[in-house]
Amino acid sequence: MIKAQNVVKIFHGYSGVVRAVDGVSTEVAKGEVVVIIGPSGSGKSTFLRCINGLEAFNEGHIIIDGVDLANKKTNINKVRAEVGMVFQQFNLFPHKTVLENLTLAQRRVRKRSTKEAEEKARMLLRKVGIHEKADDFPSRLSGGQQQRVAIARALAMDPKVMLFDEPTSALDPEMVGEVLDVMKQLAKEGMTMIVVTHEMGFAREVADRVIIMDEGKVVEVGTPEHFFTNPQEERTKLFLKQVL
Amino acid sequence: MNATDKTWPWKLLLAVILIGVAAGTWGAVQKIEYQWRWNRVPQYFAYLSEDAQKVPFDGQVTTIVPQGEDVAVTFVAGKAEKVVLTVAADSLKVEEGEELFAGDTVGFTKSWHLGPLMLGLWTTLWLSGVSSFFGLFLGLITGLARVSKNFTIRWIALLYVECIRGTPLLVQIFIAYFFLGTVFNLSRNVCGVGALALFAGAYVAEIVRAGIQSISKGQTEAARSLGMTAFQTMRDVVMPQAFKRILPPLSGQFISLIKDSSLVSVIAITDLTKSGREIITSTFATFEVWLIVAAMYLLVTSLLSQLVFYMERRLAVSD
Repeated sequence: MIKAQNVVKIFHGYSGVVRAVDGVSTEVAKGEVVVIIGPSGSGKSTFLRCINGLEAFNEGHIIIDGVDLANKKTNINKVRAEVGMVFQQFNLFPHKTVLENLTLAQRRVRKRSTKEAEEKARMLLRKVGIHEKADDFPSRLSGGQQQRVAIARALAMDPKVMLFDEPTSALDPEMVGEVLDVMKQLAKEGMTMIVVTHEMGFAREVADRVIIMDEGKVVEVGTPEHFFTNPQEERTKLFLKQVL
Repeated sequence: MNATDKTWPWKLLLAVILIGVAAGTWGAVQKIEYQWRWNRVPQYFAYLSEDAQKVPFDGQVTTIVPQGEDVAVTFVAGKAEKVVLTVAADSLKVEEGEELFAGDTVGFTKSWHLGPLMLGLWTTLWLSGVSSFFGLFLGLITGLARVSKNFTIRWIALLYVECIRGTPLLVQIFIAYFFLGTVFNLSRNVCGVGALALFAGAYVAEIVRAGIQSISKGQTEAARSLGMTAFQTMRDVVMPQAFKRILPPLSGQFISLIKDSSLVSVIAITDLTKSGREIITSTFATFEVWLIVAAMYLLVTSLLSQLVFYMERRLAVSD
């Protein structure tokens, strides 16, 4: 489904050249849930953003469903339509109602009729449990509700993969659960997911595979059991000690 | 205690200050010898003109029929020629059966005409309206060009903005009229509108650019991550949000343009300011006319401010 080969992303900052992602290779199979954890600044979010082309990477290949993002002829908009993304800050469109947030890209990108798009949107809103807020503006919703709308907005495009970039980091603690529940349900339904998170409980419960990153490199890969019971690398142990 | 109860001393102070300024001005004016002639001003807003109605040939008045405040006078010469002249009843100078010669006056028609102040105001309004339209269009394009990824487009926009913002509007109007107008054989109105539109466009461009850049990057990323194109993202996500933010500075810019349009009077476009100057040359009512002209500008700009205020409230529903 997704294949990353030796991906390198370089930032030119004031402190010189930073290799934010430094030779990451991994494969994600259809229906697999991969959780990427690691300390802040480890390049996990940047790697995730490379997967749907929000960051252009400097070296290597990312191949989604046979399409190579490194190829200049690739239509990135087509790829993005198949790859849903959920952001830390929700990034809902504040000038549009919840329903319009879900229908906009369906109509513009998938060329669905308004009626068709609205049916799909209402179905998804019911699924994430906020159908009664369909006509409200996002500012009227709590953080947890906004993030669930953002998930529904990504799902409305019928993506093959969902990327989550620290989806619960900006939420008040009491709202984390409702968002994780939606994500768990999604995983159960067989959605292919790559999740960058600090939620170890979620990783342990849902992930098929956990990747630990540090300083742009993959430190360790394994099943959740492997990580939480028998971590091999020193850096993994150190990190787990800090977060658990 | 609510807040309004505590503000009355300040309101009183404001009233005292305003009355003080007015009284001071009044006192100062009393010390110089100036004949106020406010009665000369109204005719420059609108005036009643009397046009003499004359018979075109020799003949006889046959009937005089009242029609409201007017009368219809039928005038014939033999059987061949006949005219009906309508004149104001109180200006009628003939009787039924009277013999008249060609060129004799039957009476006067009275009609209201707009005076120079209203015509000048109209010129100012259409001049600012048309320049605003083109300025907005130009500013929108340039503002988008300023954030373009293309080096050439970005720099053309930057040079335009810097050249216009770095030179006085008065000089730009002179260049537009005396240089470009001569070279390309343009009328003064085209030069005036062109100079104002180019001037407004540069400032609008900066407002648009700032508005676009004030929308968080996350909005663009969210739209692009859904597969929307750069154009769709700009049109459906960024611009509607940016528009709401740029409306107050944009309206300020257009209100400025109404005031700045007074500078086109230097290339002999008869706008409100030039009308004022012309009236003064024939009345010497300098104080009255300039005060009236200022009040007219103020009226137009405050009406526009109110309209913008109303639009802002309408757009604020999603906040």
